[in-house]
Amino acid sequence: MKQRSWHINRREFIRGGGAALALPFLQGMSWGKAAGEALPKRMVVSYIAYGVYEPKNKDGSHHDWSWWPCKDAGPLTFNQSAAPFAPLKDSVSYLRGLEHAGGIGMGGHSSGDVFATGANMTEFEMTNNISVDQFAAKVNGHKTRYASLVLGTEGGTGSYGSAKTLSHYGPSRPIPSMHRPQEIFNRLFKPYAGKGIEQVRADLKREASVLDLMMEDSRRLRSRLGKEYQQKVSEYLDSIRALEKRVERTSQWTHQPLPNVDTKGLNLEVSHKDPEEYTRCLYDLLYLAFQTDSTRFATLMLESEQSQGSEMWNYANYVLGYKGATHDIAHKRPKESGQWDNWRAKQHAYFLNRLRNTPEGDSNMLDQTVVVWGSAHPHASHSTKNYPIQVAGGKALSFRHGNLHSFDGEKKVPLANLFVSILNAVDAPTDKFADSTGEMTL
Amino acid sequence: MKSPLLSVRIAPVIAWAIACVSLVGKALAGEIPAGKSGFESHIRPFFETHCVECHGPDKSKGKITLHSLDGDLAAGRELERWELILDALKHQEMPPEEQENRPSAADRNAVVKWIESSLRDYVQRAGKDMVATMTRRLTNFEYQNTIRDLLGIELELAKDLPLDPNKPYHFNNTAELMMIGPDQLVRYKEAARKAMASAIVDPGKPDVYQARADWGHDKPGKDGLSQAEIGVYQGPGVGRKTVRLKSWPKTGEFRIRVVASGNFPPGFQEVPLRLVMGTDLRHDSGAGNYHEVGTVHLTNSLDEPEEFEFRGRIENIPVQPASVHRNKRRPTSITITAQNIFDNGELNDHRKSGFDASWSVKAPRVVLQSLEFEAPVVDRWPPEHHTRILFESPLRHTDNGKYAYEVIKRFMTRAFRRPVAREEVDHYHRIYKIYDVEFDTLEQAMRETLAMVLISPQFLYHSVMDQTAVTKPYELASRLSYFLWGSMPDKELFELAASGKLNDPAVIETQTCRLLADKRAAGFVENFTVQWLSIAKMKTVNIDRDLFPRFLYTVHVGERRGQEVLFRPTIRDYMHEETVGFISEMIRNNANVMSLVDSDFAFLNEPLAVHYGVDGVHGLKLRAVPVKPEHRLGGLLTQGAVLVGNSTGSAPHPIYRAVWLREAILGDKVKPPPAEVPALSDSVGDSADDAVSIKNLLALHRNKESCYDCHVRLDPWGIPFERYSAIGKYQPQVPKDNVRVRGFNHQQDSTFADYQAYLKSIYTEEVEATSRVPLGPDVDGMIQLKKYLLKERKDEIVENVIQRLVSYSLGRELTYHDRFEVERLLKLAEKGGYRLRDMIVSVCQSPTFTSTTTKN
Repeated sequence: MKQRSWHINRREFIRGGGAALALPFLQGMSWGKAAGEALPKRMVVSYIAYGVYEPKNKDGSHHDWSWWPCKDAGPLTFNQSAAPFAPLKDSVSYLRGLEHAGGIGMGGHSSGDVFATGANMTEFEMTNNISVDQFAAKVNGHKTRYASLVLGTEGGTGSYGSAKTLSHYGPSRPIPSMHRPQEIFNRLFKPYAGKGIEQVRADLKREASVLDLMMEDSRRLRSRLGKEYQQKVSEYLDSIRALEKRVERTSQWTHQPLPNVDTKGLNLEVSHKDPEEYTRCLYDLLYLAFQTDSTRFATLMLESEQSQGSEMWNYANYVLGYKGATHDIAHKRPKESGQWDNWRAKQHAYFLNRLRNTPEGDSNMLDQTVVVWGSAHPHASHSTKNYPIQVAGGKALSFRHGNLHSFDGEKKVPLANLFVSILNAVDAPTDKFADSTGEMTL
Repeated sequence: MKSPLLSVRIAPVIAWAIACVSLVGKALAGEIPAGKSGFESHIRPFFETHCVECHGPDKSKGKITLHSLDGDLAAGRELERWELILDALKHQEMPPEEQENRPSAADRNAVVKWIESSLRDYVQRAGKDMVATMTRRLTNFEYQNTIRDLLGIELELAKDLPLDPNKPYHFNNTAELMMIGPDQLVRYKEAARKAMASAIVDPGKPDVYQARADWGHDKPGKDGLSQAEIGVYQGPGVGRKTVRLKSWPKTGEFRIRVVASGNFPPGFQEVPLRLVMGTDLRHDSGAGNYHEVGTVHLTNSLDEPEEFEFRGRIENIPVQPASVHRNKRRPTSITITAQNIFDNGELNDHRKSGFDASWSVKAPRVVLQSLEFEAPVVDRWPPEHHTRILFESPLRHTDNGKYAYEVIKRFMTRAFRRPVAREEVDHYHRIYKIYDVEFDTLEQAMRETLAMVLISPQFLYHSVMDQTAVTKPYELASRLSYFLWGSMPDKELFELAASGKLNDPAVIETQTCRLLADKRAAGFVENFTVQWLSIAKMKTVNIDRDLFPRFLYTVHVGERRGQEVLFRPTIRDYMHEETVGFISEMIRNNANVMSLVDSDFAFLNEPLAVHYGVDGVHGLKLRAVPVKPEHRLGGLLTQGAVLVGNSTGSAPHPIYRAVWLREAILGDKVKPPPAEVPALSDSVGDSADDAVSIKNLLALHRNKESCYDCHVRLDPWGIPFERYSAIGKYQPQVPKDNVRVRGFNHQQDSTFADYQAYLKSIYTEEVEATSRVPLGPDVDGMIQLKKYLLKERKDEIVENVIQRLVSYSLGRELTYHDRFEVERLLKLAEKGGYRLRDMIVSVCQSPTFTSTTTKN
């Protein structure tokens, strides 16, 4: 991308100003946390699309522009592509040789659907299934104002086979991702839209009784309908019920003060045409949601596998001046490929650094947050095997880092095992998720 | 068995030779006994001889196997699979052309006939009950239109709803995908509140907000223009004048009056003035968010200034948030931007380094003398959209409760698109009472109550019918209006439904034509066309500006130099309008549906005409233009939306184009590339840096066995498009193989002649565009491809259009149940001379469309 003086300067101004200008400015911490309560345990799943660059040097040495930071299992060293993570060495791990068996039959451009769910959509879970963040949110979501936060760069749910979200409540219940910074901010931090708290409570109370009536009437309606309609109206009823619960929850949370978040330095009007600013804005919002303990479980679909028709299609061009579409950079593998991976790594490292630089308890926020970053479309060839997976953070939740782990062996280890470990680490105990066969110790 | 390395060219010859000499298997010509006995005696042996080797216990290519079929179609099992087999045989896709042991035509036809009649028997016996009609929610497009027609105000609500699912070449109204989850419902609730806040106004006259600006044509401005003039260029962006609003009402209609004229250099008669409103449009950074208010094409000259009026809803306008700049607080604001969007297709001819202000003087200017903003419009108060709901009635003052009940009932009848049951009204009246206690005014309570009507299942879903209401004709009325308008029925349709006349085929015909002639049909045509032809991706294809320096109108100065000028319509927007307008024009003229393949007209404005090399088209308004052979236009295949959308931005992409042709025009389902198939470049070598002609690339790719099976049926359809470049222009030459071409350099190639010389220097080799289409002849280029399609593929193409129309009109994918109805419609179309509007009429008259789920 061309250097734009105003642009860089502004960023320097925002980011380089040290703690006093930390973006954005926050007043106080620990919103609504009862004294003595344990520190929050969080999880993020984030997704990059169209595979990563995995060239091999002829002499057997590790390629400088491979997405993988080093060649052999063991302690991490960082090549050029993964260099942004070098300062985070003791907080990241790379996992090689993992995938979801359920995604294998889907083709690279569809397997992103199941990255966070591990569902077998080609055979017996046609409408996908619950995602790992929602599994945790069901158990612990009540502890925060919002059970979870679902972000994406393209917004909505997408269709089966071309999801624009990573999160699902369960079969045939995709959760639309939010992609407009201003809207995300408002939903997180301005839920009362400027109304006074008494007014909000009165509104909620009234809303609850109206929803009750809506529920009653829809039940009556359902009983009168033919079978073919009942299913749809049931879907509607479930949604009304969920809404009722939300109203109840919102009412309870009105007794906790809203976090006071200053938007200074946060460009919520950022254009999709400015990849770095936009991507970081999403990361910043996610960071803020965590910092204010508004939620603890989040997904972030940084790119979808079907981004034709959105600006993501042009990101490789905007960032690197690459002449083709973002998708093509994966197929054609020109020399820019490594730089593209490197750019994505920089953005993710930015987020991890922000978490790490924020003290929490005796350590920092990153140690309380497990962050998965990777793709279900690993290579140029529409492959659905051997995902690129990086796990970061969560050191206070029993995760150990600094190594490349290889699972290339005979006995296949499901990626879902990682999810089981994460769920247990964030106090959503389970011994099974999707096709897991056990836990994964890092 | 076939050798994977056999080139496509030789394979069919061999296959043909073998077919002539060998007669393997049982001769099947003639009738095959119906039912299971025929299966055992003829069909199974046929499968075993010709199919099971690839589709059996050992191999299951395409995941289809035939060996396990029991032949009992009457039992209704495996019918989807049978239909696939039927289509593959019927269209001679299987057994594959290169297969040595192919059945004779007579044998194949006999098998086709047997499957077809078995399937038909089953479908007829199963009858209508088996047609799974699922109800579905309104799509966002339908939601917004319905609110518009229900309330009588245009609000952009859909942009705040989660995006509808969207799949290339599929319609987004498919019932299975139309779900409502809690998040969706939250947004519906917010949208409904917003809509009702606008629809019902508070009692009393509102404050009217005004703003005004004047500019003098006698006063000098910048760059040789007067203060009142707007040229084409301004700094890095489009020429503009702005007025900043500091205050405005929360809701309401606004009116903008401008006094304007055109300043025309010799040879120009028209200049477009466009108004947009929203945030500051930052041409340097690309930030900005706006709503288009309208465009007038000025033809009046300086000495005859005229007043023009624009209207819109203030709710739709993006607001610039408050900010702090250098310790000064800037309050929220809205900017009205008046633009000169003149474009004669030559904007990028003037690629001199630095800003060329002279072009602004050479091109027509808008002379904007004054601009006056006013909101809300109070010519009539309360406005019509308010009294439509809270109608004038003495009842309001005598019996408030009864009045409220009546208001709710009237509103619900329209919102539910049918008469409502007493219980239904009672329910919302109960809700009203809850609100009534808490709110001071009827207006407030009614807004909340009616907002709940707008999140009811009866509003959000298509035809959720309470059996207590007499609703069948209303269901049909809705089906018609949602098909052809994407919105609720109007008064006339409601009245026809009420009188019970709607089911009459003659009435359906009249209504279909009436609906299609209405301006609301424009939404249908656009929605249908964009999804059917999958052209939306055209807008984001990244055009290589070195190879095509004149395609996009680019910024000449500043940091964004070389990038596309923002905040104005582009050639790609016009290409979108071209394709949508082309289909509209076909419907309007009741044209032969094969005009999709070739037509005697194109739908163009000046920038498009210049792009395609057509003379004599002036102005920005698109219109039908007769085409001559030398234009190499006509039909969809040569339209920019198709060609650009299915290119890489630097080169044509024969595979994308082949997929497009097969999916959108021929109606095939092309499978996506399977997992673990190496990408094009990987199967050729390490790098695609050296230009290798795509045709050679594909040939290399095809020679891999894993790629062969699909590509042999795909590539040949894309090759004939090769003479049309990535930007959709006829370009019979390409760069030489294995040579890196130099990019355009606008310092070196600054004049138009330099540009021509540059093109000549890189495009040196004649394009090869010959391929043998599957089961067809050698086809060289577009003209021959079109000829072939017109002659040999007519039935497939017409059938495809019928299927699309039926599928869209019903909001579901078609199944084998619909097969024979589509067949009937095809015959009907043939009889009527394949007229597109007539075909839409017969779709609406078809029993599949008119059969409703409710009993009358």
